[in-house]
Amino acid sequence: MRFFNFHLMPYPSLPDDYEGPAWVTCPNELFDPEVGQKVYNRYLDELVYSDELGFDGVCVNEHHQNAYGLMPSPNLMAAILARQTKNVKIAVIGNALPLYNPPTRVAEEFAMIDNISGGRLIAGFVVGGGPEYYSFSINPTFAREKFAEAHDIIIKAWTEPGPQEYIGKHYKLRFLNTWPRPVQKPHPEVWIPGAGSIETMEFVAKHRYGYMGIPYFHIDVFDRTFGMFREACEREGYEYDPIQAGWLTPIYVAETDAEAREQYEKHFWYFVRRLLPGINVSPPGYTSLRSIQGILKGIGTFAINLKTWDEVMDGHYVAIGSPSTVLEMLEADLERLGTGNLLGLFQLGTLPHELTMRSLSLFAKEVMPKLRERFPAGKRMLRSSGGVA
Amino acid sequence: MADITIDLFETDVGKVQLRRGGTGDPLVYLHSAAGEGEGVIFLNELAEHYSVYAPIFPGFNESEGIEQIDDMEDVVFHLLDLFDRLKLDTPSIVGLSIGGWMAAELATRYPDHLSSLVLINPAGLYIEGDPIKDIFGRSPAEMAKDLFADQSHPVAQMMKQMDRAMSDAGSLKDIPFELIAPQLKSMAAAARIGWNPYLHNPKLRRRLHRIGVPTLIVRGESDTLIPASHARAYVDEIPGAEFVEVANAAHMVVLEHPAQLAAIVNKFTTTASVSSTPG
Repeated sequence: MRFFNFHLMPYPSLPDDYEGPAWVTCPNELFDPEVGQKVYNRYLDELVYSDELGFDGVCVNEHHQNAYGLMPSPNLMAAILARQTKNVKIAVIGNALPLYNPPTRVAEEFAMIDNISGGRLIAGFVVGGGPEYYSFSINPTFAREKFAEAHDIIIKAWTEPGPQEYIGKHYKLRFLNTWPRPVQKPHPEVWIPGAGSIETMEFVAKHRYGYMGIPYFHIDVFDRTFGMFREACEREGYEYDPIQAGWLTPIYVAETDAEAREQYEKHFWYFVRRLLPGINVSPPGYTSLRSIQGILKGIGTFAINLKTWDEVMDGHYVAIGSPSTVLEMLEADLERLGTGNLLGLFQLGTLPHELTMRSLSLFAKEVMPKLRERFPAGKRMLRSSGGVA
Repeated sequence: MADITIDLFETDVGKVQLRRGGTGDPLVYLHSAAGEGEGVIFLNELAEHYSVYAPIFPGFNESEGIEQIDDMEDVVFHLLDLFDRLKLDTPSIVGLSIGGWMAAELATRYPDHLSSLVLINPAGLYIEGDPIKDIFGRSPAEMAKDLFADQSHPVAQMMKQMDRAMSDAGSLKDIPFELIAPQLKSMAAAARIGWNPYLHNPKLRRRLHRIGVPTLIVRGESDTLIPASHARAYVDEIPGAEFVEVANAAHMVVLEHPAQLAAIVNKFTTTASVSSTPG
């Protein structure tokens, strides 16, 4: 089992009287640079701290024009982390490939991060969230085509000697010859996050990359998603390796269960009620009909519909409580899902710095070692028959 | 009213659904982003006077081939190919909204390929300060207000019901997927050509003077989706273009007043062909 601290870098100060979406049209007058200066540095400290605590990696991601996550350029954050951390993998999950033109830019910047960090980059490629296609006015009906071409360009740039020519439908590059090249051979580990789209799973399975399940759903939906991913691997003719899958979930550890809820709940609701609205827009042609049909089955359990704390706990939307409670929850869920990577969202919504740091510390000292023991690296822990729920 | 039949017709990009019926001079109807076809009485009314051909554009309903259409140039070549296969030399072309835009694009490039042009609430232009309202991110209930002058129209009612279902994610999964799928397909196909630039071609306006055939611009007077300035620009730029406004109608005037609209088209093409016949 590998453990990652995933940070969204949310905007924590949306005014109480603002009731609109946190995405696309959320007025940028609401962004206060006074707050910005503080939170960027504070959030980076939280990621750097997880290096000191012995996490395997840190994760950053890309979103535009929103209050949910203040990282339009995760590569900037990764560059800072490359210098400020010593051991952790730096997972950028990911760069939204269709938003880069030409996508050679991603090959370049990722290679820079891999060099500066001494080969610690995990390269994430994403299609980009639905809101991004509104925010950048990029045609969503070409999203998958562009993603596939951009992916091919980046891998070619990293693995084949240049200069070379790439002539695709969307990108025509007469001199593909990326400097620098990455440290890791043949190229950095590739992760691709997905929300249940079959096309994405098939793509990941085909290339034997890592599939990261996007959070904020009922645990049953994750079970179904990872089951589908395992089947996609089987259709490619191989048995899925747990290290190919990651489960992303909010985690909060305090001294006792009661204290944990007392400290955490309001920050969780800020996240759900203030930062999620608008995340779920799906531009036309962005997802295939068969994938939409599948995703609709789970859509009712998307966290945005949560009303009560009981629902939160029933659906395992957050692993929360004393160290022993969190250990018990995560053991059971990881056993069930069969993923070899745990991506914890330790800071969420308005959760303050001190509580985030203490939760990270408690997790690293009292939960992580026991989970490492329970799920040793390299050992298959998967149920033999991974049926779809 | 004359009958309209539907069958699959082989084209350059795959099989498309083709509605046809009636006898008389050939008339092609190009539908809007709603993909209207089935039960569109307007077609039956037109078929009283014309041989009507109403292809369902690739990506809409059961028509194949949208993955081979990337832009308006592909649209025009697909339509030319379709006309050739149907042996239509110079049909009248009637288009609603995005279909009107397609018709105008074809007419600027190949003005000899049609005998007359009727653009109903056409998209295709950008008017500074007066843009076409959004169709890709708004709720069906909001859209209904722009599309129908009479909110009790059955389609407007249906859109509002869909909205209620969609606003409750819990019940969304209970809606039969067959009801949602056509709407998703229509919007995806429209986005393919109209996402950005949004439902227009910046070069179209300066090409409109090339349209040399009799042209009629029809506007539903309560159309709030495409502002009146767009119809006015078409009238200004196309030589000799005529203009008719339909009362108590909005964007979907084709569904709201089918008989009246068919009579307007018939009167226009009849007068146009008479006046263009050498005396």
